[in-house]
This record gives sequence, structure tokens and C-alpha cells, in this order.
Amino acid sequence: MDIKERYIRGVLLVCASLSVIAVAAITYTIIAAGWPVFTEYGVFRFLFGAKWLPDADNIQLGILTMIAGTGAVTVCALVIGGPIGILSAVYLAELASKRTSTVIQAFIDLLAGIPSVIYGFWGLVVLVPAIRNYLGSTKGYSVLAGGVVLAIMILPTVVRISADALRAVPKEYRDGSYALGADRWYTIFKVILPAAAPGIITALILGFGRAIGETMAVLMVTGNAKQFPTSLLEPITTITGNIALEIGYSWGLHRQALFACGAVLMIIILLVNFLINRIIRRAAGGIYE
Amino acid sequence: MNDIQIRIRDLNFYYGEFQALYGINADIERKAVTALIGPSGCGKSTFLRCINRMNDTIDNTLVEGLLEVNDENIYSAGLDVTELRKKIGMVFQRPNPFPMSIYDNVAYGPRVHGIKNKAKLDELVQKSLEQAHLWVEVKDRLYKNALGLSGGQQQRLVIARSLAVEPEILLMDEPTSALDPIATAKLEDLVQKLAKEYTVIIVTHNMQQAARVSTKTAFFLNGYLIEMDETSKIFTAPKDQRTEDYITGRFG
Repeated sequence: MDIKERYIRGVLLVCASLSVIAVAAITYTIIAAGWPVFTEYGVFRFLFGAKWLPDADNIQLGILTMIAGTGAVTVCALVIGGPIGILSAVYLAELASKRTSTVIQAFIDLLAGIPSVIYGFWGLVVLVPAIRNYLGSTKGYSVLAGGVVLAIMILPTVVRISADALRAVPKEYRDGSYALGADRWYTIFKVILPAAAPGIITALILGFGRAIGETMAVLMVTGNAKQFPTSLLEPITTITGNIALEIGYSWGLHRQALFACGAVLMIIILLVNFLINRIIRRAAGGIYE
Repeated sequence: MNDIQIRIRDLNFYYGEFQALYGINADIERKAVTALIGPSGCGKSTFLRCINRMNDTIDNTLVEGLLEVNDENIYSAGLDVTELRKKIGMVFQRPNPFPMSIYDNVAYGPRVHGIKNKAKLDELVQKSLEQAHLWVEVKDRLYKNALGLSGGQQQRLVIARSLAVEPEILLMDEPTSALDPIATAKLEDLVQKLAKEYTVIIVTHNMQQAARVSTKTAFFLNGYLIEMDETSKIFTAPKDQRTEDYITGRFG
């Protein structure tokens, strides 16, 4: 290997390693900065405490309401955005003409480019009043508002990856199904969608990751009340929203607790990725036994 | 013996501007094996796919002429394609079991046609797998994924899947091209047994295979059906010079 090739290899390796280094560095910083909360305040009190009173004399830093809030909007987003995204993907991959498909896909990709603060703004002026006026929510700021905004935000991810998975289903499966007399719908729902399931689940996981980590848009429409989500129409706070709101003026243990919140968020995402990957592998294991 | 099940008259077929079949005339016998041979691109697979209207799934195609199955024109306006394909099974070049269990693969066709009764499905699955000479190999793993089977087993599974809807005709598009010699021999053996109960039309690149399994052979070239006769005659005393050139390996 001559010097030049070695040099180029080196540069490329450094570039390729940057993401690994970034993940490690960020994880380390967040966990290190929040560590005293786990050791001094207590993991259990932190995770399962229902009260968040960082300014009180008897300081309380329980984040359970926020974990529940994040969980509620994320589930809401997946329940709304998941089916819409998957059905859009079916349309794009199976039914639409190439031209229509390209046009719709272009708009969906544009959706991915809209800054999240714009989504929040739209939610604030359209969704929140609508929920207040038509669904009888007292404030309008609610789990539902956050869920709908997030559902739209995860659409590009869910649609694109699901559509790719559907397009990757071998043509032979379609032929086999048609040759047995099945029509298009039967073929799509009984053969093509199941065959694309691992890819579609991946799409949903990525959508989940986007939804759980989204901060600004959700912050603007969920009302920031630190309470358990008892109804879709009640306000809540998410973990991310709380970090964004309070990081500016926090200090001491409070500040460390916000870093710890970030650590919890990362751990949830890693855990879910890991679990679902295992489930997929187990499902696929039957195929490649 | 000379019972004609499929009658083809002046059949033309077009992919857009390109004409793939020119004025095909043929009579295909019931419960016999008819082999379609010819070089790549000669139209034999296209012809096969006309018989169960699989070409419908390709955009921008056109069929002219008459194609009768059991004296019914299958290209007439009111024809139910689902019913037609129930009558005519198809096996493809590459084994294409669905990514589901062996049982569900075989039960797929019957389910398409509305059979939900578990006992009836069980019976059809077993009977079809037996007919396809696969039952003994898979009876203990019916609920395992079909993609775990070998290529030859997959191809027999696909045949079982076709048989499960109780067809009259089986179309096979180079069914052994992706198989090893042993699996090929098994499949050829199976084809001959199936011909006792089904009309089999098999496209093949392999002339020995055509000679081994079929009673009639049709030779296609450039979209024309050049010659169709008893297999023994085609291979020993073809009437057309082009047929002779092909079977003696002078081209193709």
C-alpha cells in the first residue's frame, strides 16, 4: 500500500468513525452530567416520583408524569400516523401510477423538510382552538394536539421506508398469488404486506424515535402541565419539552436532573430499538431456520 | 385420447408496439403433457401466460384471436378471471412460495376461493402435498416457514399450492431451470404422474426434458409456432427444417 492510498484510507476511516464517536461522546456527556441525580437523589425517586418541584425548599425531582406524557403523545402519534403512513405507502407502491407516485412522494418529502417550530405554530393556531371548540377540551392544549402534530411529522419516515419495503417484495409473490385467482386486494393484504412486515416495523420504530425525541412542536401544543395524562384532551408535559423549557434558568441539582432526563430518553430509545430488533429477528428466524 | 381441452386460433399478442406472437394455431389435449420448446424470446412463455391470462397483469398488452378452454373463449368480456385461474394452475421458473408456513402456502388458494372450514383445508393440504410427492418430507413441519425448504422442495410445494384449488390444467414455465439434476429428475417424474389427472403444459429450454416428459411438443421461433406434433416425431422426423436445426443444436 503506498503512502497516498494509506492517507486516503485514513481520512475516510476518520469520517466514517465520526458518528460512532459522536454517539459515544454525547451519551457520556449526558450521563456524566446527570449522574449525581442517580446517586445522590436516587434513581427510584427520580424515575417514579410524581412531583417535579425544583424550586421548592424540599426539592422534588420526580419525572413519572413526564415519562407518562411522552409515552401518551408518542403512542397517540403512532396510532394515528402509523396506519395512515402504511396505507399511503401501499397506495404509492402498489396502486399509483409512476407519475402520481412521484408527485405525492415529493410532497411527503417536503413534509420532512418543514422545521418543527412551524408544525408547532400550525398546531397552536389551528389544532388547539379546534380541539377546544369542537371536542370540549377546556384548554385545547392536549395529548391529542401533540399526537396529531407528531403523527404528521412522522409520516415522511413511515411512508418512505414502508413504501421501499413494499417495493422490495419480489414480483414472484404477486404472480404466485394472481395465478391462484387472488385479486389485487387479497394479494396486497395477505401476501405483500406480511412479506414487507419487517421493513414496515422498522419504519414504525424510526417514526417512534422521531416522535419520542421531538421537542419544539410538542412543547407548543401540549400545555406543559405536569400531570398524568388521564384523557386525550388534557394537557401534559413531555420529557423533551421540559428540558427545553427549564434548561435556561436551572442550576445545581435541578440542572443535573434535566441532563438525567436526557439520559432516560436515550435509554428508552436504545431499549425500544433493541427489543424490537430482537422481535424482528425472531420473526425472521422462522424464515431462515 | 384426442380430446381437445384448449383450442387456439389465429392468436396474436402484443407488448405495446412489439408483436410477440403471430397467428398461433394449436390444439392441446386433455390429460397429456405438452412441451413448448424454442430459443429464448421465441414467445413460448408469453404463449403460456396467455392461457391463464397472466399477461393481464402487465400494462399495455393486447391479445387478438381465439383462445378456448373447455369450449369457452377465455378472452370474452364477461369471463371471471378468478374462476379461470382456479381452473388453470401455474408454476413459475423460480420457486415462489410465499413467506409463510407450508400449511398456509397450500391453503392460500382454497382460502382465496372462500374455503374456511379447517377440516376441509386440512384435507386439501394433505391431499395436495401427497400429490406433489412432498407430504412425507414436510408432514412434521407444516407450520414452519416455507422458505426453509430446499429449492426442489419449494418447487414441489408450489405445485401442491396450485393443486390445492383443484385445477384441470397446470402451466409450468421452465419449472426446473433453478433446480439441481436430482431435484429436476424428481420433478419430471412428478410431471408425468400428474398428467394422468391433469392437462400439463410445460415450457422448457431443455430438449431432453421435453423428450422425456411430453407426449406432444410445440416448437416456437420468433413468435411463430413452427411445428407441433407427437414428441417422438418432432425429435426423430421433424417436418420443418428450422425445427430440425433447433433440435440438432444448430442454433438457439
